[in-house]
Amino acid sequence: MFDDIAFWLGYLTNGKHLAWYASFQFTIFAAVMGGLFAILFGLTGAMLKSSRFWPLRLLGTLYSSIVRGVPDVLFFLFFPLAFEQAVEWLVATQVCSPEMIAAQTAAWPPCGEANWYLDTPQYLMLASVSLGIVYGAFASNVIHGAMRSVPKGQLEAARAYGMSAAQVMWRIHIRQMWVYALPGLSNVWMLIIKATSLLSLLQIADIVLWADRLGAPNFLPTVGLVHDDWRWRYYLVLFVFYILATWVSERGFEALMRRAGRGILSEGRV
Amino acid sequence: MVELRDLHKSFGALEVLKGISLAAGEGQVISLIGSSGSGKSTLLRCINMLEIPDRGDVLIDGEPIRLKGEGARRQIADEAQIRHIRSELGMVFQSFNLWAHLTILQNVMEAPLTVQKRERAEVEAEARAMLDKVGIGDKADAYPAQLSGGQQQRAAIARALCINPRVMLFDEPTSALDPELEVEVLRVIKLLAEEGRTMILVTHDMEFARTVSDRVVFLHQGLVEEEGSPEAVFGATQSPRLRQFLNAAAHD
Repeated sequence: MFDDIAFWLGYLTNGKHLAWYASFQFTIFAAVMGGLFAILFGLTGAMLKSSRFWPLRLLGTLYSSIVRGVPDVLFFLFFPLAFEQAVEWLVATQVCSPEMIAAQTAAWPPCGEANWYLDTPQYLMLASVSLGIVYGAFASNVIHGAMRSVPKGQLEAARAYGMSAAQVMWRIHIRQMWVYALPGLSNVWMLIIKATSLLSLLQIADIVLWADRLGAPNFLPTVGLVHDDWRWRYYLVLFVFYILATWVSERGFEALMRRAGRGILSEGRV
Repeated sequence: MVELRDLHKSFGALEVLKGISLAAGEGQVISLIGSSGSGKSTLLRCINMLEIPDRGDVLIDGEPIRLKGEGARRQIADEAQIRHIRSELGMVFQSFNLWAHLTILQNVMEAPLTVQKRERAEVEAEARAMLDKVGIGDKADAYPAQLSGGQQQRAAIARALCINPRVMLFDEPTSALDPELEVEVLRVIKLLAEEGRTMILVTHDMEFARTVSDRVVFLHQGLVEEEGSPEAVFGATQSPRLRQFLNAAAHD
């Protein structure tokens, strides 16, 4: 009995399992950063959409309507690669001399000096930006609708007291918008959390990749334990993680809602 | 102090103001009366350019508010000027429009701090004094939604007072209130009139217009139909339309 426990503890804390546990940080980082980027792009998109200048309005509308229709998996593959090559091309125009280009044997990059080597941190950042761009399109729709839900009188009063357009926007409009946007944004956030399971597409050794590796059938006694296909067991752990993340998020959004809704959501008379 | 010259305003095909001129001197209380649709609220909202007149000028202390463009496309030409002018006009709305996410005290302090850039300690002392003056000093930390309509409107008046306005603009301040709450708001406005503040007031309350005003202006279909002292307008009515309007108002 005691031996059993010691064995399982040892197995579950071996190097590979520890690497698996550590890889949760990538998922959490990508979700949080992706969420922040989504808010940033969402706010920008919403402001573009309600701009007074039609080219900006068009840009905002194009962003939210086109990007919302792009599959996230596809964009996840497209954006980091496209961005990497764009940067390499840009660097190449600056650093590559004709001799260097002539000496380059590979098709890309134009010269070896323009090569941009991406490692996990860079991929993680690009993944977050990709998530931000895709889900920012949804967020911009949510935020745009929420901005229109703020009663006109609130903004009119702000103008009537001499606030500048920027002050009206930040002190009144955006501040009051959250209460209308949060329910929709919580949906977007749940989608972002779920999309973090795509990180392994970008060569990031994330929780899904490790679950895959650890659960794969193993017949070599030297690696610890002989077992057949256990992937479903490991995936089950991931399910639990995602359900926990959902639960924590819901509590978080309730708290945010209370904060944003202070004075706006119905309150008892004092 | 406030001078309106030949104001025209149309909303689409509907011409609401058809050429109105009006002047309010220092310390005067002017009431704008008229049936709904007569243009009285639009006229008031033209003073601080919440509505931009298609034609005509608004002058504050002889300084015209600069506009550019023509007709319906007219817009504010000088943002700094209009912000400065607005920061000295205390507007009170029919539906209060207190900022819902701020407490009553924060509402009153908002414009003095962010627009007039005054010092916080001084503003807070003044804000509390204004709330006491309108009789809701104990509600400073409540949110607008927690107050009755009458209390909210008094808070809105405190908000207008705290910017030390040169002119106060009231847009039907009691129309959204039950009669018993109306009284407390009217009492505050009357107090301000007695202090000698310059006020322009859109109202449907004839009795109130009679008691507080120095001058009453009756608007009919976008034009000034009759104006004069309350005694003249209400006591010796010239216009048959005004007579008809007053009769109807008396039967409400």
